[in-house]
Amino acid sequence: MRKIKNQKSKIKIVAFIIFEFLILNSALAGELSAQLTTKVSHDRIKIDFFYHGSEVNVSGVSGHGTDIVIKLTSPEGHQVLRKKAKVAGLLWMNVGELEFDRTSNLYFLHSTQKINDIVSQDEMDRYVIGYPALKKHIEVAQVKDEDEKARWFNEFVKFKELSRLYAISFGQIILNQTDSGQNYSIKLNWPYQAPIGEYLVTVYAVKDKKVVEKAEARMIVEQVGIVKTLANMAKNNGALYGAISIVVALIAGFGVGIIFRKGGGGH
Amino acid sequence: MYFYLPVALTSINSFITVGIGLIVGILTGIFGVGGGWLITPLLMMLGITPTVAVATGANQMVASATSGAYAHYKLGNVDFKMGWCLLIGSFFGGFIGAGALKVLTAMGNADFLIKITYVILLGIVGAFMLMDTLFKMRRRHTGHYERGDSKPAGFLKNLPLQIYFEKSAVAHSLFVPIFLGGIVGILAGIMGVGGGFLMIPVMVYMLRMPIHVVIGTSLFIILFTSIEVTFLQAYTNHSVDFILAVLLLLGSTIGTQIGVFFGKRLKGEHLKLFLAFILLAVALQMTLQLIMRPSVLLAIAGNH
Repeated sequence: MRKIKNQKSKIKIVAFIIFEFLILNSALAGELSAQLTTKVSHDRIKIDFFYHGSEVNVSGVSGHGTDIVIKLTSPEGHQVLRKKAKVAGLLWMNVGELEFDRTSNLYFLHSTQKINDIVSQDEMDRYVIGYPALKKHIEVAQVKDEDEKARWFNEFVKFKELSRLYAISFGQIILNQTDSGQNYSIKLNWPYQAPIGEYLVTVYAVKDKKVVEKAEARMIVEQVGIVKTLANMAKNNGALYGAISIVVALIAGFGVGIIFRKGGGGH
Repeated sequence: MYFYLPVALTSINSFITVGIGLIVGILTGIFGVGGGWLITPLLMMLGITPTVAVATGANQMVASATSGAYAHYKLGNVDFKMGWCLLIGSFFGGFIGAGALKVLTAMGNADFLIKITYVILLGIVGAFMLMDTLFKMRRRHTGHYERGDSKPAGFLKNLPLQIYFEKSAVAHSLFVPIFLGGIVGILAGIMGVGGGFLMIPVMVYMLRMPIHVVIGTSLFIILFTSIEVTFLQAYTNHSVDFILAVLLLLGSTIGTQIGVFFGKRLKGEHLKLFLAFILLAVALQMTLQLIMRPSVLLAIAGNH
Protein backbone atom coordinates (compact mmCIF):
# COMPACT_ATOMS: atom_id res chain seq x y z
CA MET A 1 0.00 0.00 0.00
CA ARG A 2 2.85 2.36 0.99
CA LYS A 3 4.74 1.41 -2.22
CA ILE A 4 1.77 2.36 -4.34
CA LYS A 5 1.56 5.74 -2.57
CA ASN A 6 5.26 6.46 -3.23
CA GLN A 7 4.85 5.52 -6.86
CA LYS A 8 1.92 7.94 -7.20
CA SER A 9 3.84 10.83 -5.68
CA LYS A 10 6.81 10.07 -8.00
CA ILE A 11 4.48 10.21 -10.99
CA LYS A 12 3.11 13.54 -9.74
CA ILE A 13 6.61 15.02 -9.44
CA VAL A 14 7.61 13.83 -12.91
CA ALA A 15 4.38 15.21 -14.37
CA PHE A 16 4.98 18.53 -12.65
CA ILE A 17 8.55 18.74 -13.98
CA ILE A 18 7.35 17.94 -17.54
CA PHE A 19 4.56 20.53 -17.22
CA GLU A 20 6.96 23.22 -15.97
CA PHE A 21 9.42 22.40 -18.76
CA LEU A 22 6.72 22.72 -21.39
CA ILE A 23 5.54 26.08 -20.05
CA LEU A 24 9.09 27.43 -19.83
CA ASN A 25 9.91 26.12 -23.24
CA SER A 26 6.82 27.59 -24.89
CA ALA A 27 7.40 30.95 -23.18
CA LEU A 28 10.96 31.00 -24.42
CA ALA A 29 9.85 29.98 -27.88
CA GLY A 30 7.28 32.81 -27.83
CA GLU A 31 9.90 35.30 -26.83
CA LEU A 32 12.12 34.23 -29.63
CA SER A 33 9.45 34.43 -32.30
CA ALA A 34 7.90 37.73 -31.03
CA GLN A 35 10.37 40.01 -32.81
CA LEU A 36 7.86 42.62 -33.93
CA THR A 37 7.74 45.77 -31.86
CA THR A 38 6.14 49.15 -32.48
CA LYS A 39 6.43 52.61 -31.06
CA VAL A 40 4.62 55.86 -31.87
CA SER A 41 6.81 58.91 -31.39
CA HIS A 42 4.07 61.43 -30.88
CA ASP A 43 1.39 59.44 -29.10
CA ARG A 44 -0.38 62.40 -27.46
CA ILE A 45 -1.31 65.09 -29.96
CA LYS A 46 -2.51 68.32 -28.40
CA ILE A 47 -4.86 70.55 -30.35
CA ASP A 48 -4.19 74.14 -29.34
CA PHE A 49 -5.04 77.49 -30.90
CA PHE A 50 -2.30 77.30 -33.55
CA TYR A 51 -2.73 73.59 -34.37
CA HIS A 52 -2.45 72.77 -38.07
CA GLY A 53 -1.97 69.03 -37.96
CA SER A 54 1.03 67.17 -36.65
CA GLU A 55 3.72 64.67 -37.53
CA VAL A 56 3.66 61.11 -36.30
CA ASN A 57 6.52 58.63 -36.50
CA VAL A 58 5.77 54.94 -36.29
CA SER A 59 8.83 52.75 -35.87
CA GLY A 60 9.96 49.40 -34.52
CA VAL A 61 11.79 46.17 -35.17
CA SER A 62 10.71 43.15 -37.20
CA GLY A 63 12.19 39.85 -38.25
CA HIS A 64 14.42 39.37 -41.31
CA GLY A 65 12.61 38.98 -44.62
CA THR A 66 9.25 40.27 -43.48
CA ASP A 67 7.20 43.01 -45.09
CA ILE A 68 5.48 45.58 -42.93
CA VAL A 69 1.90 46.83 -43.04
CA ILE A 70 0.93 49.72 -40.77
CA LYS A 71 -2.74 50.47 -40.12
CA LEU A 72 -4.01 53.49 -38.19
CA THR A 73 -7.67 53.47 -37.24
CA SER A 74 -10.14 55.17 -34.95
CA PRO A 75 -12.59 52.98 -33.00
CA GLU A 76 -15.33 51.50 -35.18
CA GLY A 77 -18.76 53.01 -34.95
CA HIS A 78 -21.90 54.13 -36.69
CA GLN A 79 -21.84 57.00 -39.20
CA VAL A 80 -24.81 58.65 -40.85
CA LEU A 81 -24.28 60.55 -44.09
CA ARG A 82 -26.61 62.39 -46.45
CA LYS A 83 -26.83 60.98 -49.91
CA LYS A 84 -27.36 63.05 -53.01
CA ALA A 85 -29.14 61.93 -56.13
CA LYS A 86 -30.89 63.37 -59.15
CA VAL A 87 -34.48 64.46 -58.55
CA ALA A 88 -36.89 64.75 -61.45
CA GLY A 89 -34.04 63.69 -63.72
CA LEU A 90 -32.44 67.11 -63.53
CA LEU A 91 -31.52 68.45 -60.10
CA TRP A 92 -28.98 67.08 -57.63
CA MET A 93 -30.38 67.15 -54.12
CA ASN A 94 -30.20 65.43 -50.76
CA VAL A 95 -32.49 62.45 -51.00
CA GLY A 96 -32.13 60.82 -47.61
CA GLU A 97 -29.52 59.30 -45.37
CA LEU A 98 -27.20 56.32 -45.47
CA GLU A 99 -26.03 54.53 -42.35
CA PHE A 100 -22.56 53.00 -42.31
CA ASP A 101 -21.88 50.53 -39.51
CA ARG A 102 -18.62 49.02 -38.29
CA THR A 103 -16.69 51.92 -39.81
CA SER A 104 -13.70 53.87 -38.60
CA ASN A 105 -13.75 57.62 -38.95
CA LEU A 106 -10.06 57.44 -39.84
CA TYR A 107 -8.30 54.68 -41.79
CA PHE A 108 -4.68 54.94 -42.92
CA LEU A 109 -2.84 52.03 -44.47
CA HIS A 110 0.85 52.03 -45.34
CA SER A 111 2.88 49.06 -46.54
CA THR A 112 6.43 48.38 -47.68
CA GLN A 113 5.19 47.11 -51.05
CA LYS A 114 1.92 47.11 -52.96
CA ILE A 115 -0.51 45.48 -50.56
CA ASN A 116 -1.87 42.90 -53.05
CA ASP A 117 1.68 41.69 -53.73
CA ILE A 118 2.52 40.94 -50.10
CA VAL A 119 -0.77 39.84 -48.45
CA SER A 120 -3.31 37.31 -49.69
CA GLN A 121 -6.95 38.36 -50.02
CA ASP A 122 -7.98 35.97 -47.24
CA GLU A 123 -5.52 37.53 -44.84
CA MET A 124 -6.55 41.04 -45.88
CA ASP A 125 -10.19 40.13 -45.19
CA ARG A 126 -9.28 38.59 -41.85
CA TYR A 127 -7.38 41.65 -40.60
CA VAL A 128 -9.44 44.26 -42.51
CA ILE A 129 -6.46 45.41 -44.57
CA GLY A 130 -7.22 47.49 -47.68
CA TYR A 131 -10.39 48.94 -49.19
CA PRO A 132 -11.81 45.67 -50.63
CA ALA A 133 -11.59 44.08 -47.18
CA LEU A 134 -13.04 47.20 -45.61
CA LYS A 135 -15.95 47.05 -48.06
CA LYS A 136 -16.75 43.52 -46.91
CA HIS A 137 -16.38 44.51 -43.28
CA ILE A 138 -18.54 47.65 -43.33
CA GLU A 139 -22.31 47.32 -43.16
CA VAL A 140 -24.42 49.75 -45.13
CA ALA A 141 -28.07 49.95 -44.21
CA GLN A 142 -30.73 50.82 -46.81
CA VAL A 143 -28.97 49.22 -49.77
CA LYS A 144 -30.66 46.64 -51.95
CA ASP A 145 -27.72 44.56 -53.16
CA GLU A 146 -23.94 44.24 -53.29
CA ASP A 147 -23.70 46.48 -56.36
CA GLU A 148 -25.42 49.33 -54.59
CA LYS A 149 -23.28 48.73 -51.51
CA ALA A 150 -20.13 48.87 -53.65
CA ARG A 151 -21.27 52.09 -55.29
CA TRP A 152 -21.94 53.84 -51.99
CA PHE A 153 -18.79 52.40 -50.42
CA ASN A 154 -16.76 54.01 -53.23
CA GLU A 155 -18.48 57.32 -52.55
CA PHE A 156 -17.81 56.85 -48.85
CA VAL A 157 -14.06 56.36 -49.48
CA LYS A 158 -14.02 59.34 -51.85
CA PHE A 159 -15.72 61.48 -49.20
CA LYS A 160 -13.27 60.34 -46.52
CA GLU A 161 -10.22 60.78 -48.75
CA LEU A 162 -11.31 64.35 -49.56
CA SER A 163 -11.57 64.98 -45.82
CA ARG A 164 -8.04 63.50 -45.53
CA LEU A 165 -9.31 60.86 -43.12
CA TYR A 166 -8.72 57.83 -45.36
CA ALA A 167 -5.47 57.14 -47.19
CA ILE A 168 -3.59 54.18 -48.61
CA SER A 169 0.03 54.24 -49.72
CA PHE A 170 2.99 51.91 -50.22
CA GLY A 171 6.74 52.31 -50.42
CA GLN A 172 7.02 55.03 -47.80
CA ILE A 173 8.13 52.75 -44.98
CA ILE A 174 11.92 52.84 -44.53
CA LEU A 175 13.59 49.50 -43.75
CA ASN A 176 17.10 49.16 -42.28
CA GLN A 177 18.64 45.71 -41.97
CA THR A 178 20.42 44.84 -38.71
CA ASP A 179 22.14 41.68 -37.43
CA SER A 180 19.11 40.60 -35.41
CA GLY A 181 16.36 41.68 -37.84
CA GLN A 182 15.28 44.93 -39.44
CA ASN A 183 14.23 48.37 -38.25
CA TYR A 184 11.23 49.97 -39.91
CA SER A 185 9.97 53.54 -39.66
CA ILE A 186 7.51 55.86 -41.35
CA LYS A 187 6.89 59.58 -40.95
CA LEU A 188 3.21 60.45 -41.29
CA ASN A 189 1.51 63.80 -41.69
CA TRP A 190 -1.30 63.73 -39.17
CA PRO A 191 -4.24 65.71 -40.65
CA TYR A 192 -5.83 68.51 -38.64
CA GLN A 193 -9.17 67.12 -39.79
CA ALA A 194 -8.76 64.08 -37.52
CA PRO A 195 -10.99 64.70 -34.51
CA ILE A 196 -10.13 64.16 -30.86
CA GLY A 197 -10.12 60.60 -29.57
CA GLU A 198 -8.05 57.47 -29.25
CA TYR A 199 -6.41 55.94 -32.31
CA LEU A 200 -5.01 52.46 -32.74
CA VAL A 201 -1.77 51.79 -34.59
CA THR A 202 -1.55 48.16 -35.73
CA VAL A 203 1.60 46.84 -37.36
CA TYR A 204 1.57 43.53 -39.22
CA ALA A 205 4.71 41.61 -40.17
CA VAL A 206 3.91 39.59 -43.29
CA LYS A 207 5.75 36.75 -44.98
CA ASP A 208 4.68 34.49 -47.82
CA LYS A 209 1.46 36.52 -48.12
CA LYS A 210 0.52 35.69 -44.53
CA VAL A 211 0.46 37.78 -41.39
CA VAL A 212 3.07 36.23 -39.10
CA GLU A 213 3.05 38.78 -36.31
CA LYS A 214 1.06 41.71 -35.06
CA ALA A 215 1.94 44.56 -32.69
CA GLU A 216 -0.19 47.45 -31.45
CA ALA A 217 0.26 50.90 -30.00
CA ARG A 218 -2.20 53.64 -29.10
CA MET A 219 -2.22 57.37 -29.58
CA ILE A 220 -4.48 60.09 -28.28
CA VAL A 221 -5.62 63.35 -29.86
CA GLU A 222 -6.96 65.88 -27.37
CA GLN A 223 -7.93 69.52 -27.18
CA VAL A 224 -6.14 71.84 -24.77
CA GLY A 225 -6.26 75.48 -23.68
CA ILE A 226 -8.62 77.98 -25.30
CA VAL A 227 -9.75 75.48 -27.95
CA LYS A 228 -10.94 73.08 -25.24
CA THR A 229 -12.57 75.87 -23.21
CA LEU A 230 -14.51 77.25 -26.18
CA ALA A 231 -15.50 73.81 -27.49
CA ASN A 232 -16.82 72.81 -24.05
CA MET A 233 -18.64 76.08 -23.63
CA ALA A 234 -20.29 75.85 -27.05
CA LYS A 235 -21.44 72.33 -26.23
CA ASN A 236 -22.44 72.63 -22.59
CA ASN A 237 -23.46 76.26 -22.23
CA GLY A 238 -24.90 77.25 -25.59
CA ALA A 239 -26.99 80.16 -24.29
CA LEU A 240 -24.06 81.93 -22.63
CA TYR A 241 -21.78 81.12 -25.56
CA GLY A 242 -24.35 82.53 -28.00
CA ALA A 243 -24.83 85.65 -25.88
CA ILE A 244 -21.07 86.28 -25.69
CA SER A 245 -20.71 85.78 -29.46
CA ILE A 246 -23.49 88.33 -30.09
CA VAL A 247 -22.15 90.89 -27.60
CA VAL A 248 -18.62 90.66 -29.04
CA ALA A 249 -20.02 91.13 -32.56
CA LEU A 250 -22.10 94.13 -31.46
CA ILE A 251 -19.13 95.77 -29.74
CA ALA A 252 -16.88 95.11 -32.76
CA GLY A 253 -19.49 96.56 -35.13
CA PHE A 254 -20.04 99.70 -33.05
CA GLY A 255 -16.33 100.04 -32.32
CA VAL A 256 -15.34 100.01 -35.97
CA GLY A 257 -18.26 102.29 -36.82
CA ILE A 258 -17.13 104.87 -34.26
CA ILE A 259 -13.46 104.61 -35.27
CA PHE A 260 -14.33 105.16 -38.93
CA ARG A 261 -16.56 108.08 -38.11
CA LYS A 262 -13.82 109.69 -36.05
CA GLY A 263 -11.37 108.89 -38.80
CA GLY A 264 -13.53 110.78 -41.29
CA GLY A 265 -15.25 107.79 -42.92
CA GLY A 266 -18.72 109.26 -42.40
CA HIS A 267 -20.22 112.63 -43.10
CA MET B 1 -1.09 82.10 -40.04
CA TYR B 2 -3.36 79.19 -39.22
CA PHE B 3 -5.86 79.04 -36.37
CA TYR B 4 -7.70 75.99 -35.12
CA LEU B 5 -11.46 76.43 -34.89
CA PRO B 6 -12.95 74.83 -31.77
CA VAL B 7 -16.46 74.25 -33.15
CA ALA B 8 -15.76 73.81 -36.86
CA LEU B 9 -12.99 71.38 -35.81
CA THR B 10 -10.67 72.43 -38.57
CA SER B 11 -7.65 74.66 -39.08
CA ILE B 12 -8.05 77.76 -41.20
CA ASN B 13 -5.84 80.36 -42.87
CA SER B 14 -6.55 83.59 -40.98
CA PHE B 15 -5.65 85.93 -43.87
CA ILE B 16 -8.05 84.22 -46.28
CA THR B 17 -10.81 84.31 -43.68
CA VAL B 18 -10.34 88.01 -42.90
CA GLY B 19 -10.28 88.61 -46.67
CA ILE B 20 -13.63 86.84 -47.12
CA GLY B 21 -15.03 88.98 -44.31
CA LEU B 22 -13.75 92.13 -46.02
CA ILE B 23 -15.38 91.29 -49.38
CA VAL B 24 -18.70 90.32 -47.79
CA GLY B 25 -18.55 93.47 -45.64
CA ILE B 26 -18.06 95.72 -48.66
CA LEU B 27 -21.13 94.19 -50.36
CA THR B 28 -23.12 94.50 -47.12
CA GLY B 29 -22.20 98.17 -46.82
CA ILE B 30 -23.05 99.01 -50.44
CA PHE B 31 -26.20 96.95 -50.95
CA GLY B 32 -27.56 96.24 -47.47
CA VAL B 33 -27.72 92.48 -48.06
CA GLY B 34 -26.62 90.04 -45.39
CA GLY B 35 -24.03 88.17 -47.41
CA GLY B 36 -24.96 84.69 -46.22
CA TRP B 37 -25.39 83.68 -49.88
CA LEU B 38 -21.68 84.40 -50.44
CA ILE B 39 -20.14 83.55 -47.10
CA THR B 40 -21.69 80.08 -46.78
CA PRO B 41 -20.30 78.63 -50.05
CA LEU B 42 -16.91 80.32 -49.51
CA LEU B 43 -16.56 78.87 -46.02
CA MET B 44 -17.65 75.46 -47.29
CA MET B 45 -14.82 75.66 -49.83
CA LEU B 46 -12.45 76.11 -46.88
CA GLY B 47 -13.72 72.87 -45.33
CA ILE B 48 -16.35 74.26 -42.95
CA THR B 49 -19.55 72.23 -42.66
CA PRO B 50 -22.74 73.95 -43.92
CA THR B 51 -24.31 74.14 -40.45
CA VAL B 52 -21.29 75.90 -38.94
CA ALA B 53 -20.93 78.12 -42.03
CA VAL B 54 -24.55 79.33 -41.79
CA ALA B 55 -24.47 79.85 -38.00
CA THR B 56 -21.10 81.59 -37.95
CA GLY B 57 -22.03 83.66 -40.99
CA ALA B 58 -25.01 84.96 -39.00
CA ASN B 59 -22.69 85.79 -36.08
CA GLN B 60 -20.38 87.89 -38.24
CA MET B 61 -23.45 89.49 -39.82
CA VAL B 62 -24.37 90.88 -36.39
CA ALA B 63 -21.07 92.78 -36.47
CA SER B 64 -21.23 93.95 -40.09
CA ALA B 65 -24.93 94.90 -39.81
CA THR B 66 -24.14 96.90 -36.64
CA SER B 67 -21.22 98.58 -38.38
CA GLY B 68 -23.29 99.27 -41.51
CA ALA B 69 -26.53 100.29 -39.77
CA TYR B 70 -24.54 102.69 -37.57
CA ALA B 71 -22.83 104.25 -40.60
CA HIS B 72 -26.15 104.55 -42.48
CA TYR B 73 -27.82 105.95 -39.36
CA LYS B 74 -25.20 108.71 -39.28
CA LEU B 75 -25.96 109.39 -42.94
CA GLY B 76 -29.67 109.61 -42.12
CA ASN B 77 -30.52 106.46 -44.07
CA VAL B 78 -32.28 104.34 -41.44
CA ASP B 79 -36.06 104.53 -41.16
CA PHE B 80 -36.49 103.11 -37.66
CA LYS B 81 -40.28 103.44 -37.69
CA MET B 82 -40.57 101.41 -40.89
CA GLY B 83 -37.85 99.03 -39.68
CA TRP B 84 -39.73 98.18 -36.49
CA CYS B 85 -43.00 97.61 -38.38
CA LEU B 86 -41.29 95.23 -40.83
CA LEU B 87 -39.48 93.49 -37.98
CA ILE B 88 -42.70 92.88 -36.05
CA GLY B 89 -44.29 91.42 -39.16
CA SER B 90 -41.32 89.25 -40.08
CA PHE B 91 -40.99 88.01 -36.49
CA PHE B 92 -44.50 86.55 -36.51
CA GLY B 93 -44.20 85.53 -40.15
CA GLY B 94 -41.08 83.56 -39.24
CA PHE B 95 -43.13 81.43 -36.82
CA ILE B 96 -45.77 80.72 -39.45
CA GLY B 97 -43.03 79.90 -41.98
CA ALA B 98 -41.30 77.48 -39.62
CA GLY B 99 -44.65 75.75 -38.99
CA ALA B 100 -45.36 75.60 -42.72
CA LEU B 101 -41.91 74.08 -43.28
CA LYS B 102 -42.74 71.27 -40.85
CA VAL B 103 -45.95 70.53 -42.75
CA LEU B 104 -44.11 70.59 -46.09
CA THR B 105 -41.35 68.33 -44.75
CA ALA B 106 -43.95 65.85 -43.48
CA MET B 107 -45.51 65.82 -46.95
CA GLY B 108 -42.14 64.81 -48.41
CA ASN B 109 -39.87 66.27 -51.09
CA ALA B 110 -39.99 69.67 -49.35
CA ASP B 111 -36.33 70.36 -50.09
CA PHE B 112 -36.97 70.10 -53.82
CA LEU B 113 -40.02 72.39 -53.79
CA ILE B 114 -38.36 74.98 -51.57
CA LYS B 115 -35.17 75.23 -53.61
CA ILE B 116 -37.06 75.49 -56.88
CA THR B 117 -39.37 78.16 -55.46
CA TYR B 118 -36.44 80.14 -54.08
CA VAL B 119 -34.52 80.08 -57.36
CA ILE B 120 -37.59 81.08 -59.37
CA LEU B 121 -38.50 83.83 -56.91
CA LEU B 122 -34.98 85.27 -56.92
CA GLY B 123 -34.84 85.06 -60.70
CA ILE B 124 -38.19 86.82 -61.16
CA VAL B 125 -37.46 89.57 -58.62
CA GLY B 126 -33.94 90.09 -60.03
CA ALA B 127 -35.17 90.18 -63.63
CA PHE B 128 -38.00 92.56 -62.76
CA MET B 129 -35.62 94.88 -60.89
CA LEU B 130 -33.15 94.80 -63.78
CA MET B 131 -35.73 95.54 -66.45
CA ASP B 132 -37.48 98.20 -64.41
CA THR B 133 -34.21 100.04 -63.66
CA LEU B 134 -33.01 99.80 -67.25
CA PHE B 135 -36.37 101.05 -68.46
CA LYS B 136 -36.27 104.03 -66.11
CA MET B 137 -32.64 104.77 -66.97
CA ARG B 138 -33.51 104.80 -70.62
CA ARG B 139 -36.23 107.34 -69.92
CA ARG B 140 -33.58 109.39 -68.13
CA HIS B 141 -35.51 109.18 -64.91
CA THR B 142 -32.46 109.82 -62.77
CA GLY B 143 -31.76 111.35 -59.36
CA HIS B 144 -29.53 110.64 -56.41
CA TYR B 145 -32.47 110.03 -54.11
CA GLU B 146 -35.31 108.53 -55.98
CA ARG B 147 -38.33 109.50 -53.96
CA GLY B 148 -41.30 107.22 -54.21
CA ASP B 149 -44.91 108.18 -54.43
CA SER B 150 -45.86 109.27 -50.94
CA LYS B 151 -49.54 108.55 -51.57
CA PRO B 152 -50.52 104.89 -51.55
CA ALA B 153 -52.80 103.85 -54.31
CA GLY B 154 -56.29 102.34 -54.29
CA PHE B 155 -57.73 100.61 -51.29
CA LEU B 156 -54.43 100.91 -49.35
CA LYS B 157 -55.27 104.59 -48.95
CA ASN B 158 -58.46 103.72 -47.11
CA LEU B 159 -56.87 101.35 -44.62
CA PRO B 160 -56.91 102.56 -41.01
CA LEU B 161 -53.89 103.85 -39.03
CA GLN B 162 -52.28 105.80 -41.88
CA ILE B 163 -48.81 106.90 -40.78
CA TYR B 164 -46.28 109.16 -42.44
CA PHE B 165 -42.78 107.72 -42.45
CA GLU B 166 -40.62 110.86 -42.47
CA LYS B 167 -37.27 109.24 -43.36
CA SER B 168 -38.73 107.40 -46.33
CA ALA B 169 -41.12 110.23 -47.17
CA VAL B 170 -43.98 107.78 -47.69
CA ALA B 171 -47.36 107.32 -46.01
CA HIS B 172 -48.83 103.88 -45.37
CA SER B 173 -51.28 102.23 -43.06
CA LEU B 174 -49.42 100.64 -40.16
CA PHE B 175 -50.79 97.29 -41.33
CA VAL B 176 -49.04 97.47 -44.72
CA PRO B 177 -45.39 97.15 -43.56
CA ILE B 178 -46.40 94.69 -40.84
CA PHE B 179 -48.26 92.56 -43.38
CA LEU B 180 -45.46 92.74 -45.96
CA GLY B 181 -42.86 92.00 -43.26
CA GLY B 182 -45.02 89.01 -42.32
CA ILE B 183 -45.03 87.69 -45.91
CA VAL B 184 -41.22 88.02 -46.12
CA GLY B 185 -40.95 86.34 -42.68
CA ILE B 186 -43.10 83.41 -43.83
CA LEU B 187 -41.02 82.92 -46.99
CA ALA B 188 -37.73 83.29 -45.08
CA GLY B 189 -38.99 80.80 -42.47
CA ILE B 190 -39.89 78.24 -45.13
CA MET B 191 -36.74 78.69 -47.17
CA GLY B 192 -34.41 78.87 -44.20
CA VAL B 193 -32.62 81.91 -45.60
CA GLY B 194 -32.38 85.49 -44.43
CA GLY B 195 -35.16 87.63 -45.80
CA GLY B 196 -32.87 90.44 -47.00
CA PHE B 197 -33.20 89.55 -50.65
CA LEU B 198 -36.96 89.67 -50.48
CA MET B 199 -37.20 92.55 -48.02
CA ILE B 200 -35.25 94.96 -50.28
CA PRO B 201 -37.55 94.56 -53.33
CA VAL B 202 -40.57 94.82 -51.02
CA MET B 203 -39.26 98.10 -49.60
CA VAL B 204 -38.35 99.48 -53.02
CA TYR B 205 -41.41 98.49 -55.02
CA MET B 206 -44.23 97.98 -52.53
CA LEU B 207 -43.37 100.47 -49.80
CA ARG B 208 -41.83 102.83 -52.37
CA MET B 209 -38.94 103.83 -50.15
CA PRO B 210 -35.84 105.59 -51.56
CA ILE B 211 -33.06 103.08 -52.27
CA HIS B 212 -30.49 104.56 -49.87
CA VAL B 213 -33.01 104.45 -47.01
CA VAL B 214 -33.92 100.90 -48.08
CA ILE B 215 -30.29 99.82 -47.66
CA GLY B 216 -29.86 101.45 -44.25
CA THR B 217 -33.19 100.08 -43.00
CA SER B 218 -32.40 96.63 -44.42
CA LEU B 219 -29.18 96.56 -42.35
CA PHE B 220 -31.15 97.57 -39.27
CA ILE B 221 -33.55 94.65 -39.86
CA ILE B 222 -30.68 92.21 -40.62
CA LEU B 223 -29.04 93.19 -37.33
CA PHE B 224 -32.01 91.82 -35.39
CA THR B 225 -32.63 88.75 -37.52
CA SER B 226 -28.94 87.79 -37.39
CA ILE B 227 -28.91 88.17 -33.59
CA GLU B 228 -31.89 85.81 -33.44
CA VAL B 229 -30.30 83.26 -35.80
CA THR B 230 -26.94 83.38 -33.98
CA PHE B 231 -28.53 82.78 -30.60
CA LEU B 232 -30.80 79.97 -31.81
CA GLN B 233 -27.92 78.25 -33.65
CA ALA B 234 -25.62 78.55 -30.63
CA TYR B 235 -28.31 77.32 -28.26
CA THR B 236 -29.87 74.49 -30.23
CA ASN B 237 -27.20 73.34 -32.71
CA HIS B 238 -23.99 74.46 -30.93
CA SER B 239 -22.75 75.41 -34.37
CA VAL B 240 -21.43 78.97 -33.94
CA ASP B 241 -17.64 79.07 -34.13
CA PHE B 242 -16.49 82.04 -32.11
CA ILE B 243 -12.93 82.16 -33.48
CA LEU B 244 -14.14 81.93 -37.08
CA ALA B 245 -16.71 84.67 -36.42
CA VAL B 246 -14.04 86.95 -34.93
CA LEU B 247 -11.76 86.43 -37.96
CA LEU B 248 -14.63 87.17 -40.33
CA LEU B 249 -15.84 90.22 -38.48
CA LEU B 250 -12.34 91.68 -38.39
CA GLY B 251 -12.69 92.00 -42.15
CA SER B 252 -16.43 92.54 -42.46
CA THR B 253 -16.81 95.44 -40.03
CA ILE B 254 -14.13 97.41 -41.86
CA GLY B 255 -15.42 96.21 -45.25
CA THR B 256 -18.90 97.46 -44.39
CA GLN B 257 -17.58 100.96 -43.69
CA ILE B 258 -15.75 100.91 -47.03
CA GLY B 259 -18.98 99.72 -48.66
CA VAL B 260 -21.04 102.51 -47.12
CA PHE B 261 -18.40 105.02 -48.28
CA PHE B 262 -18.70 103.83 -51.87
CA GLY B 263 -22.44 103.22 -51.67
CA LYS B 264 -23.28 106.81 -50.86
CA ARG B 265 -21.42 107.87 -54.00
CA LEU B 266 -23.53 105.61 -56.21
CA LYS B 267 -26.73 106.80 -57.81
CA GLY B 268 -29.96 105.14 -56.70
CA GLU B 269 -30.59 103.50 -60.03
CA HIS B 270 -27.05 102.15 -60.22
CA LEU B 271 -27.51 100.60 -56.82
CA LYS B 272 -30.75 99.00 -58.01
CA LEU B 273 -29.02 97.76 -61.12
CA PHE B 274 -26.19 96.14 -59.14
CA LEU B 275 -28.69 94.67 -56.70
CA ALA B 276 -30.62 93.15 -59.58
CA PHE B 277 -27.38 91.61 -60.89
CA ILE B 278 -26.61 90.18 -57.45
CA LEU B 279 -30.08 88.63 -57.20
CA LEU B 280 -29.68 87.10 -60.66
CA ALA B 281 -26.15 85.90 -59.86
CA VAL B 282 -27.35 84.15 -56.69
CA ALA B 283 -30.23 82.57 -58.62
CA LEU B 284 -27.74 81.40 -61.28
CA GLN B 285 -25.29 80.08 -58.67
CA MET B 286 -28.08 78.09 -56.99
CA THR B 287 -29.28 76.74 -60.34
CA LEU B 288 -25.77 75.58 -61.27
CA GLN B 289 -25.38 74.01 -57.84
CA LEU B 290 -28.56 72.04 -58.45
CA ILE B 291 -27.78 71.03 -62.02
CA MET B 292 -24.10 70.12 -61.84
CA ARG B 293 -23.14 66.70 -60.51
CA PRO B 294 -21.45 67.07 -57.11
CA SER B 295 -17.92 65.69 -56.88
CA VAL B 296 -18.98 63.51 -53.94
CA LEU B 297 -22.47 62.15 -53.48
CA LEU B 298 -22.24 61.99 -49.69
CA ALA B 299 -22.25 64.80 -47.15
CA ILE B 300 -22.27 65.19 -43.41
CA ALA B 301 -25.77 64.57 -42.11
CA GLY B 302 -27.71 66.72 -39.72
CA ASN B 303 -25.98 68.95 -37.30
CA HIS B 304 -22.33 69.21 -36.88
